[in-house]
Amino acid sequence: MPTVQLFITCLTDSFFPKTGEAVVDILNRLGIGVDFAPDQTCCGQPQFNAGLRNDAKMIAEHTIKLFEKTSGDIVTPSGSCAHHFRHNLLELFEGDNEWYPRAEALGKRVFEFTEYLVDQLHVTDLGATWDGLLTYHPSCHTLRGIHVDKQPRTLLKNVKRATLVELPNAQECCGFGGVMSAEHPELSAEWLKRKIANLEATTSPTLVVTDAGCLMHIMGGLKRQGKSQQVVHIAEILNNR
Amino acid sequence: MSNRFFRERILESIDNPTLQTALDNNTERRLKGRAAAFESIPDWRERRQRAHRIRADVIEHLDDYLAKFIANNEANGVIVHRATDAKEAIHIVLGIVGADEHPHQQKLVAKSKSMVSEEIELNHALEKHNIRVVETDLGEYIVQLRHERPSHIITPAAHLKKEQVAKLFQEKLGIPYTEDIPTLTATARKVLREVFLKADVGLSGVNFGVAETGGMCIVTNEGNARMVTTLPKTHIALMGMERLVPKLDDLALMLSLLPRSATGQKLTVYTQLLHKPMLGQTRHLIILDNGRSKLRNSPLKESLYCIRCGACLNACPVFRELSGHAYIGRDLSIAPYPGPIGSVISPGLFGKNYVQLAQASSLCGACKEACPVDIDLPKLLTRVRAGKVDEERGKKKDGAGLTWSTRLFLKAFARLATQPKLFALSQKFASLGTHLLSPRAQWMRLPAITGWGYSKDFPRFAGKTFRERYRKSEIANREIPLQNMIAEQPANIPTFQPANLIDQFTTELTALQGNVHQTDNVTQSMIEYLTSKNIKKIYLQPNVLDETLLRQSGIDFTHEPDPEIIVGVTKAWVGLADTGSVLEANEELRGSLLPEIHLAVLESKSILPSLPDAIEMTKGKNAVFITGPSRTADIEMTLTIGVHGPKELHVFVDDSNSG
Repeated sequence: MPTVQLFITCLTDSFFPKTGEAVVDILNRLGIGVDFAPDQTCCGQPQFNAGLRNDAKMIAEHTIKLFEKTSGDIVTPSGSCAHHFRHNLLELFEGDNEWYPRAEALGKRVFEFTEYLVDQLHVTDLGATWDGLLTYHPSCHTLRGIHVDKQPRTLLKNVKRATLVELPNAQECCGFGGVMSAEHPELSAEWLKRKIANLEATTSPTLVVTDAGCLMHIMGGLKRQGKSQQVVHIAEILNNR
Repeated sequence: MSNRFFRERILESIDNPTLQTALDNNTERRLKGRAAAFESIPDWRERRQRAHRIRADVIEHLDDYLAKFIANNEANGVIVHRATDAKEAIHIVLGIVGADEHPHQQKLVAKSKSMVSEEIELNHALEKHNIRVVETDLGEYIVQLRHERPSHIITPAAHLKKEQVAKLFQEKLGIPYTEDIPTLTATARKVLREVFLKADVGLSGVNFGVAETGGMCIVTNEGNARMVTTLPKTHIALMGMERLVPKLDDLALMLSLLPRSATGQKLTVYTQLLHKPMLGQTRHLIILDNGRSKLRNSPLKESLYCIRCGACLNACPVFRELSGHAYIGRDLSIAPYPGPIGSVISPGLFGKNYVQLAQASSLCGACKEACPVDIDLPKLLTRVRAGKVDEERGKKKDGAGLTWSTRLFLKAFARLATQPKLFALSQKFASLGTHLLSPRAQWMRLPAITGWGYSKDFPRFAGKTFRERYRKSEIANREIPLQNMIAEQPANIPTFQPANLIDQFTTELTALQGNVHQTDNVTQSMIEYLTSKNIKKIYLQPNVLDETLLRQSGIDFTHEPDPEIIVGVTKAWVGLADTGSVLEANEELRGSLLPEIHLAVLESKSILPSLPDAIEMTKGKNAVFITGPSRTADIEMTLTIGVHGPKELHVFVDDSNSG
């Protein structure tokens, strides 16, 4: 049985472990074994984005070394972490003869979860079911960072009994932006308001995302505003049978 | 906290409903316009990559291209100056404006839009020397009257609503209060026409310099740049040293991207190419460095590829909340360039005063996607944050513009993230802590000061993390692979339909509110048109119409352009079918500019498919591609026809020689 490595991401690990279980379930059902390297922590994207490159390097080196001890594709339920491995690490280690090739090799092994399902496994229908409306928020780094959009949408279209409705101005950032939401909460709040208003316009009770960052941010906003809509990671939708 | 004032300014913008409405309008219309304009060039992705390569090559070999550009300009009779910084540039301008026989008379400078002049704060410097400077772009004129900086590099008054402009014009220009945008525009036309005709010096920016010919390309919709570059006896062109393309062909490519990205137009109304002074005119070119050489040798080099279209501003969710005036430095000065590109080049050119701007981004990538030359703006923003701005001065500080609390948190987190056991342990503590704080609810309220708590609740850490669950769980390996369901869609590349060129030309120009008259007797058709409008006297370019027939029909004409005459008849060299443009390239460009109504004669066989087919014809000439009547959208993005140039454009397509 082919086996992949799972990079769970620090947010999913700490806050949304059920998403991780859904990823494992789905891959197992498709005949793919899942290995979890227990020493993994965070990809270091927050530090990279904040401009703390030495700290980002420290974390990246830890992760590179860790996965060098493993083989096969690395699947992660986050577009932004995949983008970090694939693109940011090259920027981070540019001109570094030792680490650049090692970072590049890691980046080539990493796939965002829906990208892996559709592009690598050629699966577009997981036999999932969901009752009611669904709408999809394309996370910035999934959409514009690694150009994955058709994949999650195709998977969602094939969810039985569900009706997929388009989120108005779906491509707009939700306002999380990692450290930006701490550094500029006022800006972040405005975008969040807009995203929630757009979600309400769809009348869908469920917003589907591919990234725990957006999930935490939008869900947190819904809770604060006392709304009933749920933000759900796509893996949990696809694992619903 | 270093960014306290910046955050206060952000809040002011957010809490200003007038500004927010104006910004929402700007965003919505510009994004739609841009998307629609790009539909007409299905190969835009390929063009964009070509444009990126051209700009990269220019910046890589900038010294060579500059040398060529300067040599060609000198051969064309243009006086070239180089300025290393703002002070030098101002000194050169003062020298040119002040140098003549009447040193005590107040000089008048008519200015068309130039971001470089904003960058060096030229107006302020000239006014200090008792020189009167008047901005002639409608938006710039409005912000000048309000003593403000432009809030957007393309639409300077994008932050204002028509009520504000109405009040401004009532106070400053003494007209009765009116919110009617055409009336406001007509008022500006009248006031500024005087300025054009009286100005001692015309001052403009430069959109592109063409190295192989020395041509300066300047694009405007209103026609004001045509006025300032052709009417006053002295013209000064002010240009950033990086704004070059190697060849006219490359210019044609850039021109297919710039107006589409900036204003959603296929071509700007007036696309000028200046290759030499006009008759009796002195033309100066000032090429400004002002930090660009330093930028070129820094990790922010790619930002020099920018062609100043403003598309990244329109696409940016930060700009959409802020507008240009909220981008402030630590000294509270407004950054000369706003938006994503501004948050890179403002610190890149002027140092760490502006580095904090780069932290105000979610790195969402909308700017990179919108950029017509594919500048990787998110990457450059992270480089500013990483302290790359000060690198060469040996003062590199990572996490530039970051607040100390965030820095501390991220540094501590980084230590944890390299020690897995400690990481797992801290997850346990965090879980315990958040469960204590919020024993019942999964989501809890944090204070606003945490940043997170400002607008949203925070989730409790999971009781059992994924890693724990994974260790303990035994997830069954149900081996039931599903079928491959993917159906690859065939690539759907729309093919370009080469239509009848005259029809295409007519469709395009009509869409821009221009008029097309097809005829096999131009003089006769022209006479019929003039008679129907009761027009008795016209400016006429020599050898265009049957002058005897005109006289017999009672129509008087002059070959000398005159601002008092309302109709000008000229001959177009060629037409461009895909944009509905006509090319005017002769010694006398004023005949197609000063009148309210411009009648152009165009032979049907001279209609070419597209700009690249005609651009070589401008070599060594002063030429302008005219695409519709003069227009502006500077007040509330409302399209208004007829600003400084003609209000009506009629093209008489002459079929008599079509064979």
